[in-house]
Amino acid sequence: MFQLSNLQWKSFFRSASIAGNLFSKIIMFFGIIYVTLMSLALGFIHGVGVSVTNPEAEKIADPFLWINKEIIYIIGYLIVIRYLFQKIPILNIRSLLLTPLKKSMIIRYAMHQTIFSIFNLALIIYLLIFSAFVNLETDSGNLFLWNVSIILIIYITNFLNILLNKKDKLVFVLFVLLTVLKILEYNMIVDLSVYSEMIFYSFYETPILVFVPLLLLVYTYYYVMMFFRNNLSIDTGLSMKVKEGKMNNFDWLNRFGSAAIFLKNDLRLITRAKRARSTTIMGILFVLYGLIFMVFDDLYGETGEFFGLFFSTAGFMFTFCGMVPSWDSKHYPLMMCQNITYLDYLKSKWYLGIIGTILTTILALIIYSYFGLYYIIVLVCCSCYNLGVNSYMTLWSGAFNRAAIDLESNKNAFGDKKSFNSKTLLLIIPQLILPMLIFYFVSVVYDRYIAAYCVGAIGIFGIFLRNIFFKIILKTYKSQKYSALSAYKQTN
Amino acid sequence: MITFKNLKKSYAKNVVLDIDLLEIPKGQAFGLVGNNGAGKTTMFSCLLDLIKPTKGIVTNNEINVRESEDWKTFSSAYLDESFLIGYLMPEEYFYFIGELRNVKEKEVNEFLKQFEDLFNGEILGGKKYIRDLSKGNQKKVGIVAALIGSPSVIILDEPFANLDPTTQIRLKKIIKKLSTYNRVTVLISSHDLQDVTEVSERIVLLEKGKIIKDIKTSEKTLKELESYFTKE
Repeated sequence: MFQLSNLQWKSFFRSASIAGNLFSKIIMFFGIIYVTLMSLALGFIHGVGVSVTNPEAEKIADPFLWINKEIIYIIGYLIVIRYLFQKIPILNIRSLLLTPLKKSMIIRYAMHQTIFSIFNLALIIYLLIFSAFVNLETDSGNLFLWNVSIILIIYITNFLNILLNKKDKLVFVLFVLLTVLKILEYNMIVDLSVYSEMIFYSFYETPILVFVPLLLLVYTYYYVMMFFRNNLSIDTGLSMKVKEGKMNNFDWLNRFGSAAIFLKNDLRLITRAKRARSTTIMGILFVLYGLIFMVFDDLYGETGEFFGLFFSTAGFMFTFCGMVPSWDSKHYPLMMCQNITYLDYLKSKWYLGIIGTILTTILALIIYSYFGLYYIIVLVCCSCYNLGVNSYMTLWSGAFNRAAIDLESNKNAFGDKKSFNSKTLLLIIPQLILPMLIFYFVSVVYDRYIAAYCVGAIGIFGIFLRNIFFKIILKTYKSQKYSALSAYKQTN
Repeated sequence: MITFKNLKKSYAKNVVLDIDLLEIPKGQAFGLVGNNGAGKTTMFSCLLDLIKPTKGIVTNNEINVRESEDWKTFSSAYLDESFLIGYLMPEEYFYFIGELRNVKEKEVNEFLKQFEDLFNGEILGGKKYIRDLSKGNQKKVGIVAALIGSPSVIILDEPFANLDPTTQIRLKKIIKKLSTYNRVTVLISSHDLQDVTEVSERIVLLEKGKIIKDIKTSEKTLKELESYFTKE
């Protein structure tokens, strides 16, 4: 076991992008603190019985009954969230196969790494705090065993998650099912929570039932272990699933001239590489981001609303284009040697951002035009700013992007699924703060219409400065070329 | 003509490449041999402007590769897998390279016909992305792509490694033909002394970044090289 931890430790500290890695770890650290505090707070609030969404509303009459009703959803969504965000333990298993370590030990080591994952700890903290504050007039022994049962169930989902790898459709169905049931429950058509209460309350009433989740957990644990034990050879579990390829022509893109050559490839990238696909989907989902601010109108005010709409049109640019040129990191030397100038290459990436932004803007216009003329104006102005300023800024910041993306990493059973890069998230902050400040101050002094026009005007101004911007961008990229090449090479 | 002049590359105090003057005339089949770490790939990378030399100038057809990108119009290379795009099908990759070099899809198809036996039915018309091909087949794709658009300078790093014997023999024929009939400057590096002597007119032996030998290939060359490497 010790040797294995040692390997992981080394791979972390000796990686080329140690600075970036450390940085993401720090961001993650704050994320963990945030989640922990949230679980503490929620545990307390629910335990005492105050409603979260509306503090003035009546108290939850019986918090313990309430949690038994809701717990089926908590567990269900936990499975979905785990699937999306929890990192499956990666170990360079191939190279360990021939070492004298027992196979089952390698697998157990990988599995045990998940035990202290934040996804488990946050819920445990929540449950314990909840139990500490819940006002129950009966046996604390029963309550304790109820907690044990629930924690055991949480761990069942933990190990199931390792098995669920690559079952996108299944998890999606679960998500839709849960959401539909919740909506039906809300409208009092079907009530799943009754059954949830029946099942989970019985863990409290009849504490001996704790053996059910316990046995299930043991079974799941050994099932997962045996599954990988039997598949741990390079032609089965560790082999790559070869998908049948399909040719795509995309001839209609030819109207974009020399940039079209690269645009075609980028489209193929999006359709064929999982990482690129999920990033694009995320970018498109950002279109809905503004809705959050529209719903909680009073809470966020005009600037908040503007921020939401701004993000709605910029989602694709920030997520997908924020990772340019990392998408080409695997074949960056090829790009640097081909019969194409650096400028043309960068322009094609710029076009991609422009097309993406226009498409997301159209989508956003369809959705938000329902709310009135003001929102149409805001969207168009935000879009202008994104096209005229952020398109350059995003491309420019890419020159310093050293994070290589391994497009094929999703293929192993123990592949890395983490598709967030906190570094790119941080780089987009300056691109957001400026338009927000402009909007805020102008809307305070004049009004929100003029404020939106101001932001839009800057964007239009930027569109005309294309050549100047590109000169700067090209110069930066050229000066960063060699260090980018060597950074990408190390990770490859 | 390709010229390396006072070229020096060092990492900290460790000199990995140190060439006073090396001139490769147009149309020459040029072979580079040396042990691991001799500086072969570094030399090619300097020529392709992939790494920045500590000192010195590399010119390709009178163009300083650091100052202008014009050499890209007539040069092509295959150094390693980073010259492939994994998520493309081989055909798409060929068309992509073709488009960059102003060769139309039809012409690419025409061009690929001569490699049908080299591909052995495993590459074209298949349903695999390049990332799913075997290492050897990936290499074939990369090398053939480097020949698209009749470039006048072709740089291949270790082209024979990982290939099966049949392919090696065919590839040697192709390389020979390029330099003798088409006046293409071909630069290859190899660990296999026999392969490299078979295809190149001139062989340079590198060790620790320095040129040790510069030989015009003859019947004695292979022996000469072998005796050098068996020494020590």
